[in-house]
Amino acid sequence: MTKVLIIEDEGDIRRHLRAILSAQGHEVLEAGNAQDGLKALTLNAPDLLILDLGLPDQDGQDVIPSLREWSQIPIIVLSAREQEADKIRALENGADDYLTKPFAPGELLARIKVALRHAQKQSEVPQVFERNGLKVDTAARRVWLEGESVHLTPIEYKLLSAFIAHPGKVLTHAQLLKAVWNRHTSDQTHYLRIHTQHLREKLKDDPLKPRFILTEPGIGYRFQD
Amino acid sequence: MKADTRPDPDKLLALVSHDAGGLLRGRLKIFFGASAGVGKTFAMLSEARRLHAEGRNVIIGVAEHHNRPETLALLDGLPVLPQKTIEHRGVSVRAFDLDAALHMKPDLILVDEYAHTNAPGSRHPKRWQDIEELLENGIDVYTTLNVQHLESLNDVVARLTGVWVKETVPDVAFDEADEIALIDIPPEDLLQRLSEGKVYVAEGAPQRAADNFFKKGNLGRLRELALRRAAERVDADNDAFSAAMGQSEAATGDKILVLVGPDALSERLIRHTKRMADRSRAPWSALYLQTDRHETLSDKARLRVEHHLRLAEKLGGRVVRLIAGGAAATILGYARHNGFTRLVLGHSRPVWWRLGLPSLSQKLMAQGAGLEITTLTAEQTELRPRDPIGHTLFATAPRTYLMAGVAVGVSTLLGLPFREMIDPDSLVMLYLTGVVIVAARYGIGPSVLSSILSVAAFNWFFIKPYYSFTFDNISYVLTFAVMLATSLIVGSLTARLSLHVRLARRGEAETRLLYDLSRALSAARGIEEIGDAVRRGLTAAFDVEVALWNDGAQITGVPETDPRELGAMQWVAQNRQIAGRHTDTLPSASGLYVPLPGEPGVLGLTPRDRNRQFTGAEWLVFETVASLIASALQRARQSREAESARVETENEKLRNVLLASVSHDLKTPLTVMNGAVASLLKMRKKLPREAVDELTSLWGHLTGLQKFVANLLRMAAITSGQLKLNFGPYLIQEIAGAALQRIDPQKGDRQLRTVTTGQIPMVNIDGALIEQVLINLLENAIAHTSDDGIITLSFEADADRVRVRVSDNGPGLPPGEEDQIFEKFHRAGGLSSDRLSSDRSGQSNGLGLAICKGIIEAHGGLIYAKTNPTGGASFIFTLPAYTHAV
Repeated sequence: MTKVLIIEDEGDIRRHLRAILSAQGHEVLEAGNAQDGLKALTLNAPDLLILDLGLPDQDGQDVIPSLREWSQIPIIVLSAREQEADKIRALENGADDYLTKPFAPGELLARIKVALRHAQKQSEVPQVFERNGLKVDTAARRVWLEGESVHLTPIEYKLLSAFIAHPGKVLTHAQLLKAVWNRHTSDQTHYLRIHTQHLREKLKDDPLKPRFILTEPGIGYRFQD
Repeated sequence: MKADTRPDPDKLLALVSHDAGGLLRGRLKIFFGASAGVGKTFAMLSEARRLHAEGRNVIIGVAEHHNRPETLALLDGLPVLPQKTIEHRGVSVRAFDLDAALHMKPDLILVDEYAHTNAPGSRHPKRWQDIEELLENGIDVYTTLNVQHLESLNDVVARLTGVWVKETVPDVAFDEADEIALIDIPPEDLLQRLSEGKVYVAEGAPQRAADNFFKKGNLGRLRELALRRAAERVDADNDAFSAAMGQSEAATGDKILVLVGPDALSERLIRHTKRMADRSRAPWSALYLQTDRHETLSDKARLRVEHHLRLAEKLGGRVVRLIAGGAAATILGYARHNGFTRLVLGHSRPVWWRLGLPSLSQKLMAQGAGLEITTLTAEQTELRPRDPIGHTLFATAPRTYLMAGVAVGVSTLLGLPFREMIDPDSLVMLYLTGVVIVAARYGIGPSVLSSILSVAAFNWFFIKPYYSFTFDNISYVLTFAVMLATSLIVGSLTARLSLHVRLARRGEAETRLLYDLSRALSAARGIEEIGDAVRRGLTAAFDVEVALWNDGAQITGVPETDPRELGAMQWVAQNRQIAGRHTDTLPSASGLYVPLPGEPGVLGLTPRDRNRQFTGAEWLVFETVASLIASALQRARQSREAESARVETENEKLRNVLLASVSHDLKTPLTVMNGAVASLLKMRKKLPREAVDELTSLWGHLTGLQKFVANLLRMAAITSGQLKLNFGPYLIQEIAGAALQRIDPQKGDRQLRTVTTGQIPMVNIDGALIEQVLINLLENAIAHTSDDGIITLSFEADADRVRVRVSDNGPGLPPGEEDQIFEKFHRAGGLSSDRLSSDRSGQSNGLGLAICKGIIEAHGGLIYAKTNPTGGASFIFTLPAYTHAV
C-alpha cells in the first residue's frame, strides 16, 4: 500500500482526489497549505506527492526546489496553470509530472503509476532495458529493434540512454541538452530536434504515430513507458 | 615596406564605394568644354541614345537644342520629361520639373547646362542644386558645363575675355562629379561653326559682347583653361588612388590660410587661394578675424563677410572665425598651431592717418617668419560684377557723423555765455566732454571727427579774435595741439571701452537668452509647453514670428497656411538642411527654416520687419536654439514613452492577474463537478438506469463546458495581446503526432490519414500553440463528419514555408462562408444555438477556428478554408520555415 500526500487548498478537489485514490487502494494524506504539507511529509514519509501550485501560504513553484534539497519523493503537479513556462519550470525544478485541471481521473492514475515505478527503479540501473520490441544492453552499449541490431552514433546513444533512464517521464529540452551535450543552454534546440529525428528514423519510430518517443509540444519529450 | 606606406583599407574602401556610388547616390557625369558650340549637348545626347538602346531607363530632363537639326535628330525617340509652368508675379515661365523627375526615378536623367539659374520661385535658385537633389535620390545625371562658369575661374575668365559671367557653379560640385568628359575642338573649327550659325548666342546679348567673346585669342585661352582644369581633375583622381595605395608623394604638406574681410578684394583673395590650393593640392581655410571693428561695421558690410565666407565654403575651403583683439598675433598663432604653411592676404596701402604705424599686412610680414606670405593689392580698376549686397566705404552710418557735429555745437552753445568770464583753457573741458559722449555712443570714427571739429570751433568761438581761425597768442598752438591729442586719445579709449561694454552686454544677453530658454525647456512638460517656451523665448528677443513643427504637426505659432512657407518647411524636414529666406534653397520664402538635429522637427523664424536680414551671429544662435529644442523634444518623447510603457506594464500585470484568477475560479468548480460525476458514474451499477442516463448526459455537457472555458481563456489571451509566442525549431510531424494522440479518444470510427509530400523542413513555431491549432482543426473535422468519415492531414513545403492541410469528406462549407467561419462565435450554416456545446462532439462552440486564426497570424502565417472539389472541407495553414545559420 502506498501513501499519497495531497497538498491542495480546495477541499472539494481534495475530497475528489481522495475518492479516486482510495478506490485504487492508496492511503491518502491531505494538507490545505504548504506548511502543513511539509509537516505531513516529514512526519509520515509518504511515497508520492500531489502538489497544487496556487497555495494560500506559498507558491507551489517555490515549494518544489526547496523540497528537492532533502527529498527524492515523486512529485506530480496538479494545477490550473496551463502555460508551458509553468510546466517547464516545475519539471526542471524536480517535479516528475504535471497535470492541468480539470483532469481525467484515469490519466492521473496512470501518471501516478509511472511515477511510482520510476521512483522504485531509481536505485537499480537495469543492465538490459526492454520495451515494445526495443532492447538496450546498457553495459555493452548495444541496441536491438525486433531482434535486429541497430547502429547508433554516440550522440544518438546518449539521447536514447537519457530517455530510457526515465521512461514515461517528461524530459524538458534543457534537461535533454544537459544530459547529452552537458550544456546549460536551451538555444541549441534545433540540434536536439535533428538528433531525435535521426534516432526516430533508426528506431523506425514515425513522429506522426510515435511508438517510443512522444512529443510534448513546448516542453520536451517523453519516452513511451 | 614601411608601415605607413601600406594601402589604407579604409581609403581603398571609400574609393571603391565611391566608384560604386550608384548604390546610394547617383553618379554625375559632366560634359565639359571651353565655350558654347563645342558640341557638349551633342555628345551627351549621343551617349544617352546609346544607353537608351541598351535598355537603360534614360529620360531627357532638359536639352538645349537651339533648334539645331543634328541635335533635334538625336532627341528623336528619347523620352522627354514634360516641363512645368511657374507663375511668378503674373509671368509664367516654363521650367525643369524637379519633383516630376524625382517621382519618375529614372536610372539616368539628362539635365543640360549645369550653371543655369532657375526662374524666381523655384525650389533652388540654381540648377546645380536641382542636380544635387537628383543625385541624393540615387538618380544618375548627365550635364554640360563651360569653363567660364566655374566659380574659381570666374574672375580669370572675366579678365581674359572682358565678359562677366553671372551664372557660376561651385568648384566642389565640379570636383565631386564622378566623371568628366572633356569636349574639345580647335578654335578655328569653332569659329567656322560660328560663322555657319551653328553656335547659339544668347538672344538679346549685345553683339559686341558676343564678338568680344568669340575672338580667336579668347577661345584659345579658354580652351587652355578648360584643358588645364580637366587635367587637374585627372591628377586629383590619380592622387586619390595613389594615396589610397599608400603612395602619397603627391602631398606637398602645404596648407593655406586666406584672410578675408568685408572688402571687395576678399573675393579675389579667396578665388586666388582656391587656385593655389588646387595646383599644390593643398587644403585651405578662410579666416575671418572678428575684431572690435566687426561691431562698427554696417549690416551690409557684415553680410559681405558672410557672403565671402560662404563663397570660400562653396569653393571647398574650410571656414574659421576667430574673435580676438590683437590681430597679427592671433592670426600668426592660429596659423602656426594648425600647421598652415602659406598665408594669403590683401595688401593695404599705407595711408596718412596711420602716421607711419605698420598696417596689418606689414606686421604679418615682419613677424611671420617661416610662413610663405602672398599679398594681393586691390586695384581701382578691378573688374567687379555689380555688387549684389552693396559695399560701403564708410562702415558706420552717416547719421553718427552728424551727431558728432551736433555734440560740438551743443558744447559751443553751452560755453558761449561764459566766454568772457572763464579762462578759455577751462572751456576746453566742455569740448572734451562732448568728444567722450560721442565716442561712447558712436565709436571711433565720429569721435575723431568731433575732436577735429572741437578744435576748430574752440578756435573760432573762444579764441580772440573771435569768429576767425587766427589767434593772437602763439601759445594757443600748444593748447590746440594738446586739445586735439587729448580728445583723440580720450575719444578712442572711450570708444573702445564702451564697445567692449556693448559686446559684453550683447554676449551676456545672448547667454542669458540661451540660458533662460534651456531652463524653460527643461522645465517644460510635454510638447505644448516646449512650443510655448520657444515662442516666448525668441519672439521678442529677435523680433520674429516663431513657428515650430514636430512630426509634421505645428506645435506653436500662428498656424502656417502659405503653401510656399509650408513647402520650405517640408523641404527642410526632409533634407535636414537650413533653408528659406536668404539661403541657397527656396530663398523666396519669407521665413528661415532650421532643422532640429536628430528630431523630425523644424524651427521657422519670420522677421516681423520683412526687410530685415538675419546676421551670421543670429544664424548661430538659431542653430543652437534648434539643438536645445531637439533635446527637449527628445526628453519629452522619452518620458512619454516611459510613461506609456509603465501604463502598459501595469495593464498587462492587471490583465494577467485577472485572467489567472478567472481561470482558477472557473476551473476549480469544473474539476470538482467532473470528479463528482466521475465518482457517481463509478457506482453506476448501484444507480437506477434513469440516473445513469442523466449522469452520462451531464458528463458530456461538462466535457463540452471544460473545452469551452479553455477556449474562452485562450481567446481572451489572444485578443488582449497577451499571447507570448515561445518560438523554437520543430518538425511539424512531431507536433502533429502529439495532436493526433490527443484527439484519438474523440475520433470514434473515423479514419485519420496522413500524407507527407517531399522533404518537410523544420518550422519556427510555438509548439504548444500549433498543437492547439491542429487539435482544433481536427476536432472541427470530427464534428463535421459522420462516424465513417475520413480525415486527411497532409504536409507539403515550398521554398520558405510549410503548408498543412486538414481535409474531411463531410458536407463541406456553406458557400460564401469560407472567411466568416474564422470569426468568433460563428457557426457553420448559421446554426445559432444557446447551448454551450453542440451536437456530436461537444466542439464547435464557435471559438476553435477563431483561435486557430489568431495563433497562425501571430506566427506570420496564413489560414484559410475551402470546399474540396470532391466534397468536404479543407482547412489550410502555412508556417514559416526555420532558418538557422549552421
